[in-house]
Amino acid sequence: MNRSATLQGAKPAVRSPKKRLPVAKTIVYIIFGILLVTQLYPLLWLLIYSLKTNEEILSGSFFALPKVAQWVNYKNALGGGKYWDYLTNSLLVTTVTMACVIVLASLAAFAITRFRWKYGQYVMLLFLLGMMIPLQATLLPIMVIFSNMDILNTRLSLILPYIAFQTPIAVFIMSGFMKTIPTEIEESAIIDGAGVLRIFRSIVLPVSIPPIMTVCILTFINIWNEYVLAATFISKESLKTLPFGVNSFVSQYSVNYGAIGAFLVLGALPVIIIYFLLAEKITKGMVAGAVKG
Amino acid sequence: MKVLKVSNWTIAAFVLPCLIIYIGLVFVPIGVSVYTSFLDWNGIVPIGMAKHVGFDNYHRMFTGDSVFWPSVRRTFLLAGFSMLIQLPLALLVAILIGRYTRKANFLVSSYFLPVILSVVVIGQLWKTIYNPASQGGMINQILDKIGLHSWTHNWLTDPKVAIYAIILVGLWQYLGYHLLIQFTGIQNIPADIYEAAKIDGADGFKADRYITLPMIVPIFKISFVLSFIGSLQSFDLIMVMTGGGPAHATDVVAMHMYNMSFLSQKYGYGSAVGTFLVAMCLLVTVLINFVFNRLEKRYS
Amino acid sequence: MKNGKKVLGVVTVAGLLAASLSACGSSNENDGNSAASPEPSASASASAPASSPAASESSGEKVTITFQNIYPDSSDPKYQMLHKIVSDYEAAHPNVKIELDSLNTDQQKLKLKTQAASKEVPDITIVNPKAQMQPFVDADLFAPLNDMVKQNGLADTFQTGILDPYTFNGNLYALPDGNNIGVLYYNKSLFQQAGIANPPTTFEELVADVKILKEKGITPLAIGEKDSWTGSFLFMNILLRTYGPGFLQDVTDGKTTFEDPAFLEAVKAFEDLVKAGAFQDGATSFDYNAGENLFKTGKSAMYYMGSWATGGIETAEVSKDGNVGVFKFPTVGGKGDPDEYMLAPGSAFAVSKNSKHLNETLDFLNYFMLNYPKELFGLKGAVGLAQKVEGDFKAAGYSDMAVTVLDLFKTVKGGDLSFDNTMNPATSQVHLSSIQNLFVTPDTDPAAVAKEHQQAYEDNK
Repeated sequence: MNRSATLQGAKPAVRSPKKRLPVAKTIVYIIFGILLVTQLYPLLWLLIYSLKTNEEILSGSFFALPKVAQWVNYKNALGGGKYWDYLTNSLLVTTVTMACVIVLASLAAFAITRFRWKYGQYVMLLFLLGMMIPLQATLLPIMVIFSNMDILNTRLSLILPYIAFQTPIAVFIMSGFMKTIPTEIEESAIIDGAGVLRIFRSIVLPVSIPPIMTVCILTFINIWNEYVLAATFISKESLKTLPFGVNSFVSQYSVNYGAIGAFLVLGALPVIIIYFLLAEKITKGMVAGAVKG
Repeated sequence: MKVLKVSNWTIAAFVLPCLIIYIGLVFVPIGVSVYTSFLDWNGIVPIGMAKHVGFDNYHRMFTGDSVFWPSVRRTFLLAGFSMLIQLPLALLVAILIGRYTRKANFLVSSYFLPVILSVVVIGQLWKTIYNPASQGGMINQILDKIGLHSWTHNWLTDPKVAIYAIILVGLWQYLGYHLLIQFTGIQNIPADIYEAAKIDGADGFKADRYITLPMIVPIFKISFVLSFIGSLQSFDLIMVMTGGGPAHATDVVAMHMYNMSFLSQKYGYGSAVGTFLVAMCLLVTVLINFVFNRLEKRYS
Repeated sequence: MKNGKKVLGVVTVAGLLAASLSACGSSNENDGNSAASPEPSASASASAPASSPAASESSGEKVTITFQNIYPDSSDPKYQMLHKIVSDYEAAHPNVKIELDSLNTDQQKLKLKTQAASKEVPDITIVNPKAQMQPFVDADLFAPLNDMVKQNGLADTFQTGILDPYTFNGNLYALPDGNNIGVLYYNKSLFQQAGIANPPTTFEELVADVKILKEKGITPLAIGEKDSWTGSFLFMNILLRTYGPGFLQDVTDGKTTFEDPAFLEAVKAFEDLVKAGAFQDGATSFDYNAGENLFKTGKSAMYYMGSWATGGIETAEVSKDGNVGVFKFPTVGGKGDPDEYMLAPGSAFAVSKNSKHLNETLDFLNYFMLNYPKELFGLKGAVGLAQKVEGDFKAAGYSDMAVTVLDLFKTVKGGDLSFDNTMNPATSQVHLSSIQNLFVTPDTDPAAVAKEHQQAYEDNK
């Protein structure tokens, strides 16, 4: 903590208030530190949890460490190779969904915020409405629709509703950002003779990297752990996703908590890796943002 | 002022692909829900066999359901706490991170972590924090140790405090979520505006007051709406922590809908609750939009 | 170039639109269709006897049977049993593939309800007895199993009367995976520690013992009341003592109401138990497993549960050296017969009437159920089955406690099913929440509890 504070002081940042407010700075760093502990602790807790026996977990003491590290939990979690199948399926479904959401939502957001047309606002409102709709309310009707389209038990039956449920938020976020792009950019592009698609592709998209990354992250976490739709629309073992793994340790009258913990660690790893990779892009995007003005 | 004048075909090509999937899988189902809300239907027999009951479900929901209104109140409580405490806090931290650190990326990412972890983990973790002292609950054990035994509570099973205990978890878990959004927003403010302001003598918090706050309004709105949605849909966390109990003391609207549709097998009635939820969302979204549009106008 | 893209976009859009519109359109038409379509297969099921293995083999056509089940956990004996039988069957029938859709119990219930409305019920699924499966039977979703159980003597493997809760209008629709009774488990060394010699035989003794245990700092009774059926199961046993069997049936028949004195007495007794401090702190936030774990880790002296818990308890730390005993639920106010139990006929396997491979499915289920008790017996999971089990439990290495539980089964003279198996779901939900409420406000006037029940019953008749 302190060390980083002094490091920071050694090479003053452009907008840092230099040495004028060391007290304020210390307080701020203390706040950062406390937050860091509270927000990172769950990961540590989960790691410890994944090494405990069922009894130790259910006894529920907050600080307790496992008597003997139960690596067998990881063996169980990986057992039968299900983890890798589920992981592959999850990655596939999530990637396709993310790609579709980004493309569809950025197109729509661009049209809503930058085109001159009467109904843009209403379309936006329509999307806004959809963000609010709880998944459970649509479960049964979607089942009926898919049953008639005969796509139950396919990856499409997950990807389609995931896209449908994630696009509103994506459109909302993207249009929020696109609104702030100065119109001068397009004006000069039009003078240069650029078409709509080129304006979208070469001018608007590049400066929208930060919101796109934000959307990526939100979409990813929203569907990575999604279980209700997956469990309802998928019955084939070969198509099941990671959340099935977590729930496969829950039987009629007992739950294998340790293995669940281990599975959650294994399931969270890809998310954390991907997340930190994407988050890097957000700060990179800030450079692009600084140039654009 | 928007400058791109394009043909209707172009507009259609940009908007329709997205809109169609969305309408087909979100709006059509909602339409079905609205329809079923006028039925006495258990959700199992063919829908054609269900009896039309007009507004009976709504009438009962508004006048004869002792669980409904309290669950509406709790839903708004959740939203209120999130909007009034979580969002300003996230904004403050976002500003501070932008100002005081160079490696902002690491902090923002770390703070986001609880959002990534499954609700199962979060729920279990907080249960060990809230449990009675005799079961190893952290808060109660600490209170006991520092001689505040009278402050100890069964945080999750006392009907009066349980919902607040859950709200706190929600605030904690999603702080990083809103931080991420608002931080992205702040990063998007062109740096030269700050440079120019600095020359004019506006630095530090003054710059925040006159530049960051007004410029962040559209992004803050995103956070605002997302936090409202999150509160309305809050379901998983409550399910893991209390299951809505004791005796509905932590039920929220989304949960009531689920219970009615699938546990009580009154799908029609559950649909009425769902329709109410959607209508409430519509109303609040329009309201939020209205307020923020005025704010944006004032500042631009 | 640009135009080309536009056109392409529009075409895609139009295609999607058409697809989604046709989907909505056909969703209505198809209700008519699918209502009609089951007829041929239904008649097939009635006329054709469950096909012999040879029949399905000779056809040689690849057949996939989806088996929705609630045994996803590989450490559960039932999981091992399931996979063993399935692979045996697949080996004998190379053209048949059994697709296992293993879900946890809550998720399976939700899934089946969602599937029911669009007639997408899997070939084999899981349902619960009586009131809980009634709506599915009303919706005509299951194939009758009357003929199938006659094949290979399957019907004779079941205990007398156990198929009744799955039989509607003379048609059997499901085969149970178990048959259990409500019993009290107790920790002998904790009883000793508190100076209690024998397990209580009357409710008054039970309350007194609770107070003694509580004073010694021992949690008297563990419960997982976040899953509110657990408290209801216990409450209903009290009611079984104060009223005798058949209370809910009598309510339904109009012979009595929830305002019956016996019901009030049961509520009062239950409140006394809570007020005596019988349950652990924060009981309503403990789920089933966390509650049971208190007993399994030796932290609570008693545990009331269905006999299915025996398997889990006998392998737990607490059972070492025969430390766990079992006793019958005591009499309440001198009333009731301890040989009447809360009866819990298990989850059951039902076959979809619309199954594309009805004959193969029936043939498989017949094979499955014939081998079910045998396989579970070997895996030490045969306590509380609905079928007769041949074999010496003691010799097979079952614990003394398990043998005691099995002996209790022999004393069963009747009893009652749980509330949610008897009453409609809406009334049951009100009941569950009402009982859960007693855990936090045990001072509630019993008359108010009765009134809440009666109101719910009348609203949802």
